[in-house]
Amino acid sequence: MTAAEVKTPPVPPASSAASASASAARRLAAGARLAWLHLRSRRVPSALLALALCGGALRAVLHWHLVSGGALEQQGPMVIEAGAAVVIAVTTHSPFGEAERAGGRWLPYLRLGAALALTGIAIGALQLGVTGASLPGGILVLARNVIGITGIGLLASLVTGGLLAWIPPLGYLGFAEYALNEAWRNPWTWPVRPPADRGAWICAAGVFAVGLAAVTFRGARTSLADNG
Amino acid sequence: MTAVALTHRTARFRTARFRTVRALRLEIKHSTAVWVLPILAALFYVNAYRTAAGFPPTWTVRASVITGSNLVFFSVIAAGIAAWVATREDRRKTGDLLATTARAAWARQATVLAATAFWMVLAYLAGVAVLYIQTARQATWGGPPLWPVAVGVVGVAASCAVGFTCGTLLPGRFTAPIVAVAVFAAWFVGAQAANSVNPYQVSNLSSLKGTSALLGPVLGRPAFIDVGVYYHVPPDVSIVQVMFMGGVLLVMAGLLVLLPAARVPGVRGLSFAGRRWLTVVAAAGVACGVAASATAFWMAGTARYSLATGWDIPALHDAADDQPVPYTLDCTGSAFKVCIHPAFAPYLGAMSAALQPAAAEIAGLPGAPVRADMTMGYTSSAAVAGTTSVYDFFTEQEGYGGESFWATPALARTADWEQGWQQDFIIWFVSGPAEQDSPGPTPAQEAVAIALLAKIGAPVPQGYPQFSQPGTQSGASSASSASGGSGTQPGASAGQITAAASGFESLSSAARHAWLAANLAALRSGTITLAQLS
Repeated sequence: MTAAEVKTPPVPPASSAASASASAARRLAAGARLAWLHLRSRRVPSALLALALCGGALRAVLHWHLVSGGALEQQGPMVIEAGAAVVIAVTTHSPFGEAERAGGRWLPYLRLGAALALTGIAIGALQLGVTGASLPGGILVLARNVIGITGIGLLASLVTGGLLAWIPPLGYLGFAEYALNEAWRNPWTWPVRPPADRGAWICAAGVFAVGLAAVTFRGARTSLADNG
Repeated sequence: MTAVALTHRTARFRTARFRTVRALRLEIKHSTAVWVLPILAALFYVNAYRTAAGFPPTWTVRASVITGSNLVFFSVIAAGIAAWVATREDRRKTGDLLATTARAAWARQATVLAATAFWMVLAYLAGVAVLYIQTARQATWGGPPLWPVAVGVVGVAASCAVGFTCGTLLPGRFTAPIVAVAVFAAWFVGAQAANSVNPYQVSNLSSLKGTSALLGPVLGRPAFIDVGVYYHVPPDVSIVQVMFMGGVLLVMAGLLVLLPAARVPGVRGLSFAGRRWLTVVAAAGVACGVAASATAFWMAGTARYSLATGWDIPALHDAADDQPVPYTLDCTGSAFKVCIHPAFAPYLGAMSAALQPAAAEIAGLPGAPVRADMTMGYTSSAAVAGTTSVYDFFTEQEGYGGESFWATPALARTADWEQGWQQDFIIWFVSGPAEQDSPGPTPAQEAVAIALLAKIGAPVPQGYPQFSQPGTQSGASSASSASGGSGTQPGASAGQITAAASGFESLSSAARHAWLAANLAALRSGTITLAQLS
């Protein structure tokens, strides 16, 4: 037997179409089960509930004018958008740690898919919450805030671990509140920029892209967040 | 009781106390709260330190950030991190293991909560110390207010208790961030309510409703710059805030103690079979907390606003707080004295530099003031020029130049700030105080004021209607509205006024002085026209 024969799996004997489709179905079922197990291990069902809660809270804030007038009108929704973002960041925590990383090659894809899907769902849930109400800046600012702050949370999970990844986004939120009061105009203070501001979009999307890539390939840190 | 039994009891008590202190020391040493201190420091620098540094160096105004944005951000992080540490037993699956220990669940949890609150309150007090040291180095009058510090400390501790209780009741990975965001949102809702009774934003102070919102934080700067300067700030609102948040703290602490009793005995935590007294104490604590918060809410609802002293609550108010605080004005200058409240002494140099040249320009004219005094508050009823020898300027004055004492002393040293005061002073002298409902200066008054200001190097006041549009200062453009004036004279364009001002300015100093001496009364009464100026 040559080395090439070892590396290349032997060609299976000619199979029927039925066995091929059965194999594909098995793979699909296995993939779906793998994805489901991954999502469950990240508490994604609970995260969906939390995102729905955020949408409801945003609806309540706008409907009953709980925060209105001046800077508060923008700050209130921003807090809830940040809430949705930190929920996504916290889902990056894996209960399995190092053992999971050695388990297969699909993990990066699962992380990527989970983060992307949750971000989309968060934007959708919040937008659903503001339907029929007037949100300062509209869906563009909403989406930009969720994307950007989620990016910060994903990046933070590499340092703090997933469970504590909510702290830096809230820190940024505090900074953004100050920037809003002081009418700062830097693109990296994207929550205070107009909806179509190109620089703000580049910054928010850039942070999200870097955070997403980092979480996809490295995953959240598993040590620090387990302390304390 | 024998001496031996007493000795044993004392020894047991000492041992128990030693164990508690040791457990607390260990929790403090290993607390996760240490990890958030850098973030808190950054938030403090951005939201509190920088904000306070942008305020004038008076104690009450600077201290307002302590119970404003600083308290909000410390509370948010404190609640989140307390919720996080409360989920520790669940996170590490050590519930069964700890259930076999001798210490009761409530004692264990209380130690963890105390350690977290220790770090959060310590960080908060460190921030307050930084702010107060900075203010002490710049303030020239008064002393540090302590009630806002008490409010902040109780607020942070109550936030820790709320977060910890939520984390204990609902352990999970989403508890901490959701609690933090919920506390954040709750503060904003409170701030919104507090804004609705902000005297700075409400036109009819006598009809204020819903003053219970005073329990919430006031974000942004205080309503008035001279708060706590001419009158002491009554501690009434601070007292009810401490009562309210202290009540919340008591309720949460009581719930934490009662919580193991509500659980299934033996599964997690210890049952209270042999500790009925503790259950009774905890229930009493919850009841007292509810009573304290409800009473504070009710008392805040009875608050009344006074323009001089601010909010007072009848049930708590001390009439001694209504007495004005004695002070002696700080003055400078000889021929023309500029006097200012000692709390604003850092502005005296800039104020004198602004007013001395303007006063020299009109010295010797009939009714020219020989003194400028800072007076209290938000009044616009300055004595009419010509009837007084004292020019009154106000702490809340925002005149033609947009200058005010909200600027820091460093900003007050700029030409813009000084020229703003010069404009106010000259305009007051030529045409009376600038009032919103007054018909405005006549074109002749404007021309004379512009000429006098030009002699001391100050620009045309932007508040003049003909000059309020860009490009009209030079007088080259005459496209501005020809309206304006007192209504008794025909309107004039910016170009016409500028031309008349130039002509008046080109007169010799003696001639200008003589003309003003002869015509000042007529000019103020509005009977002088632009044509009569040349």
